[in-house]
Amino acid sequence: MLNVPVDVIATFNVQGKIKPNYIRVEDEDHTLRTYKIEDVISCKEEKYAGVPAILFCCNIVREDCLQLINIRYHIKTHQWVIVGDEGKNERQTAVRIY
Amino acid sequence: MDRLIFHIDVNSAFLSWEAVYRLHILGDKTDLRQIPSAVGGDVKKRHGIILARSLPAKKFGIRTGDTLADALKLCPDLVVVPPHYDLYDSCSKALMEILKEYSPCVEQYSVDEAFCDMTGTAHLYGSPVAAANLIKDRIYRELGFTVNIGISTNKVLAKMASDFKKPNLVHTLFPEELETKLWRLPVDDLFYVGHATKRKLHALGIHTIGELATTDLDILRSHFKKFGEVIYAFANGMDLSVVSDEPHVNKGYGNSTTIAFDVDRPDTAKIVLLSLAEKVCSRLRADNAMATVVAVGIVNNEFKYESHQMTLFSPTNITIEVHRAACVLFDELWDGSPIRKLGIRTSKVVYGKTDRQLNLFDLDRFEKFSKLDKAVDAVRERFGEDSIMRAVFLKNPVYHMAGGVAPEKRRPDYGNGIKE
Repeated sequence: MLNVPVDVIATFNVQGKIKPNYIRVEDEDHTLRTYKIEDVISCKEEKYAGVPAILFCCNIVREDCLQLINIRYHIKTHQWVIVGDEGKNERQTAVRIY
Repeated sequence: MDRLIFHIDVNSAFLSWEAVYRLHILGDKTDLRQIPSAVGGDVKKRHGIILARSLPAKKFGIRTGDTLADALKLCPDLVVVPPHYDLYDSCSKALMEILKEYSPCVEQYSVDEAFCDMTGTAHLYGSPVAAANLIKDRIYRELGFTVNIGISTNKVLAKMASDFKKPNLVHTLFPEELETKLWRLPVDDLFYVGHATKRKLHALGIHTIGELATTDLDILRSHFKKFGEVIYAFANGMDLSVVSDEPHVNKGYGNSTTIAFDVDRPDTAKIVLLSLAEKVCSRLRADNAMATVVAVGIVNNEFKYESHQMTLFSPTNITIEVHRAACVLFDELWDGSPIRKLGIRTSKVVYGKTDRQLNLFDLDRFEKFSKLDKAVDAVRERFGEDSIMRAVFLKNPVYHMAGGVAPEKRRPDYGNGIKE
């Protein structure tokens, strides 16, 4: 699966730290669903291919389960994308019972 | 004290950069570097050559510069991706930023190559090999692509060293290693030795760099003049040039374009020349430069190249003036054969404010046109290159600022909405 741009509500504190709060994604049946981001596990600045971005690894609640997702904030274009969840990172696919 | 020079070279740059972009930014799962793949032009627009290829594609015998058709014959499953020059810019800049953290003296040699003067960094990063590995691994970790680093005491040896086994490796080529590492290589591996020189050297019975290095210099001088001294010095690992972190001055500005169809009418050709003049002059104006000599080059459909030049009355960067000169040259030069490629080159460049030779019959109305061009540049700067164009280019297949990197090559259409 490819990375897809998504809508995000985020807060920016006075130090310039970014915290994503809500994410809105399109479901398989093309309805928009909003998920609250429960907590941010980690964030990491990246510069792959010279493109500056911040990768957030965070938990959302989906169908009564906590799901770990990776979202990336592109610093230059101010765009958020959800990182495709197959293979690359094993932690991403782990779904814990809430 | 001996100097310590690093040469950093990105492994199949255009292809690696595209691979990293697709993997990390778009989220693609296949790594172009692991499969036979290449960056190539658009066959329909006759830009059909291989600009870079992956190492697996190299195994099929595909070389940079091959036509797409030839490459596909060698490897029918070759994955060809379009060029993406905006990405190359950002990768190149990011690379240079990292290098500048390790050395105050970095010379960008091309979009994907740089020299670093690392003299005196031993106490900072340890041995040269350790320092090079540190830089190489950091580039891979942060930017996602691999580089080769060549280490030596001068630029030419460092460059030769970075060209040894690839990818992702550090090699040294210190003067004491010349005989074992450099001299056994074929002579055309040497920097500055191209096809023509290789043929001449072979005719002299010189096949390896070692043979060149031990040839009597007078023999080389008699065959190659001054150039013989240059390649003799390189083969013996001698190079006194310094790593210069100052950007070099442009001696000339030129642009050319391969047209999607063969041009057989002078008026069409002159429209192409106008679009080239527009591009060249906007670059001149951006650098606050003016050119005195204008040259026009034509490649016809049989790939025959001819050029013709003239000196202007006074230096200029006015589109209309350069175009007028180009049209005069074109009329004198063109033999009527179908044209494949047109180019304009300007030289004898002067920078800054120069006093213009006033012409009693200033029919070109220099002042007015210079104001017009300035206004056009300002509009383009603010609203984009395509925001304003000469009316002749409306509904015209010729792009209004031809030459250089075409807009569609700046960024291909990935179709998923991720911007850069």
